Amino acid sequence: MKFVVKLVSAIIAMVSLAILVPPHKAQAASHYTIGTETTFVPYAIQGKDGTYNGKHPGIDMEILRAIAKNQHFTFDLKIMNFAAIVQALQSGQVDGNMAAMMVTPERQQTLDFSHTYLNAGLSLATKPGSSIKSYKDLKGKIVAVKTGSTSETYATSIQNKYGFTIHHLDSTNTEINDVTTGNADAAIDATLSLQYTIKNGMKLRLIGTQQNVHPVAFAVKKGENAALLQKFNKGLANIKKDGTYAKIMAYYTGAKAHTNANIATDRSYLGIIKANAPQFKAGITMTIKLTIVSIIIATIVGVFIGLFGVVPSRLLKGFHGVYTFIFRSIPVMVLSFFIYMGIPSLIGHKIPLFTAGVATLVLENSAYIASFVAGGIKSVDRGQMEASRSLGVTYLASMRKVIMPQAVRTMAPSFINQFIIALKGTSILSAIGLAEMTQQGTIIISQNMEGFKVWLIITAMYLVLIGCLTLLSDRVQKHYSLAN
Amino acid sequence: MLDEKIVIAKHIHKSFGDNEVLKDVSLSVHSGEVVVMIGPSGSGKSTFLRTLNGLETIDKGQVMVNGQLLYDKKVNLNQVRQNIGMVFQHFNLFPNMTILNNVIMAAISTKHFTPEKARQEAKKYLDMVDLSEKMNSYPAQLSGGQKQRVAIARALEMEPKIMLFDEPTSALDPEMVGDVLEVMQQLAQNGMTMIIVTHEMGFAKRVADRVVFFSDGMIQESGTPEEVFDRPASPRTQGFLERVLNV
Ligand SMILES: Nc1ncnc2c1ncn2[C@@H]1O[C@H](COP(=O)(O)OP(=O)(O)OP(=O)(O)O)[C@@H](O)[C@H]1O
Ligand SMILES: [Mg+2]
Repeated sequence: MKFVVKLVSAIIAMVSLAILVPPHKAQAASHYTIGTETTFVPYAIQGKDGTYNGKHPGIDMEILRAIAKNQHFTFDLKIMNFAAIVQALQSGQVDGNMAAMMVTPERQQTLDFSHTYLNAGLSLATKPGSSIKSYKDLKGKIVAVKTGSTSETYATSIQNKYGFTIHHLDSTNTEINDVTTGNADAAIDATLSLQYTIKNGMKLRLIGTQQNVHPVAFAVKKGENAALLQKFNKGLANIKKDGTYAKIMAYYTGAKAHTNANIATDRSYLGIIKANAPQFKAGITMTIKLTIVSIIIATIVGVFIGLFGVVPSRLLKGFHGVYTFIFRSIPVMVLSFFIYMGIPSLIGHKIPLFTAGVATLVLENSAYIASFVAGGIKSVDRGQMEASRSLGVTYLASMRKVIMPQAVRTMAPSFINQFIIALKGTSILSAIGLAEMTQQGTIIISQNMEGFKVWLIITAMYLVLIGCLTLLSDRVQKHYSLAN
Repeated sequence: MLDEKIVIAKHIHKSFGDNEVLKDVSLSVHSGEVVVMIGPSGSGKSTFLRTLNGLETIDKGQVMVNGQLLYDKKVNLNQVRQNIGMVFQHFNLFPNMTILNNVIMAAISTKHFTPEKARQEAKKYLDMVDLSEKMNSYPAQLSGGQKQRVAIARALEMEPKIMLFDEPTSALDPEMVGDVLEVMQQLAQNGMTMIIVTHEMGFAKRVADRVVFFSDGMIQESGTPEEVFDRPASPRTQGFLERVLNV
């Protein structure tokens, strides 16, 4: 068992390293990688391009920016699901987390926190006409919360007392959608973000008073990056002194808090597409790029490992068997988490997001390719190899000239099928924050809350892409059947 | 020339698991000799033939072809096989190549000929089997008899010293058998050394220098066609001949 674990890790590490395209830069001490989450208003608000480079990217982002400027350090942001952030910090993928993170005793076990930059509590939200007037009315109802957040912990702690069921969702916006569509009766989330959402036109009502107030702070891995923590604290004190901090807070929470420009725009399908064209485009580009790069590498790797399955060598055959079993068995999402969060702690340095995504798809798809390549070769009549060898042709030349051309013909449909699966598989990589089509959809919805329409647009985009692939495959197959 | 032994197989033993298929088989063939092997199904004829070009491993014994030991660690089997042509029951043409490419592939791959020379030679052999007009067709477009004649041309292209045939006409419609046998007879007349497994008794009588009767993994009887067909010594041979000739 230990051997298998080592083998799997080694294989993954090898593949990941092999495609680690940009060699890892040596990082200067004043440059950091900071983890943050996808849009969580008003703390973090992604722009149309999916980044936080805009003028008003949210409280967290603006505070971090001001402190960095004050303390003369630079940073790259890693954007991911809230639940993944703590893991990323543990594995060293990021140096610090700026993600509206509440300070709790559990988190203090593994993280060191900066001084508090604001206090935040939780509120209960329902649809305006709801019969729920207080926590007591929650008996038998469904409450939506965000996975990995304090709202989840809090909801769980009072669940028995009030007798409700919990829906665990992966972002504030899906959680709010859960309430507006009626799947859930109420949501518990950060008061500030609920207020901000309501101010921006969401039809919700807050119930009762703020609960579970906690300080919110910047975090680093326990016992590490003390210097960064110190800079953050110093910078925070400075921007509080010079008024920058107050300005930022007023912008997002003051009486005249700004409203998201996106809200007022055209809500027709065409309007949504127009308003978010750069995001849709970036998503398509990323999806296509991921698919093409992955499928090319997976094909090369898969064909080789497929060949391992038929050559007369017990060692290579064994490798083929283990490889195909393992990577066909691990769910893609688990594999992506393992590579992005797990491997860095094994090899001692970070893996770029794109590389992690490609590695995931390559491992999964190459395993399937290896299986049908081996199967395709085995399906070629034994007499073909014998005839070729009886003429004095070597094993390898016989493979290349006689067996493979025939095997490829039977494999062609499987290859096309695998390309389609790889394309759809890119969607799962949104879990580690890769800004492909699905992730872009999530971001757009977090701004305009038009879940149904945006998912329909995204679906149409996948259908078009896969339609193109299918057309291509028909052509390829016609070509081959003609040659037959 | 006739004294030169081109194939010497000595005390061959071969089992598939518990099934002992070859039980101490020995056979020598002179250069230019035509040997026909007959015998009941499952008696080990194919297996024995395949040991003569290393397609089968053996448990015990020795095979020497053209002065080279086949089952020797130091031997280059690919080299040896270039001197041994083999024709299979099911032709085994390469469906992904044209007829011409079927014939020249090995010669080019093994550098036996330059591509130019390989094509020249291929035309000669395809002419000989009367199929030069099918040069650019694919195997799927040919009849069984035509396929088998291409397979013979393909083997001849390597200029083998000896040809092995494993039931070359068994998979053919009766009206196609004649053309293939004719080509084989012509080869025999040109002095090619041949070992042929077949059920065509008439052909065996006409062409064979020697007939070998195989049964139960052993050579039961061996002699001229007259000896074996007209005066079989072993009761097994008699029984077998009665069965095949009376059907
Ligand atoms: N690859 C193999 N694995 C296991 N058993 C085999 C294999 N090849 C042949 N045999 C067995 O060896 C025995 C001899 O087979 P072989 O093909 O040599 O007979 P044959 O005399 O050529 O018969 P036929 O006239 O039917 O072609 C048979 O019992 C067969 O089942
Ligand atoms: Mg046979």
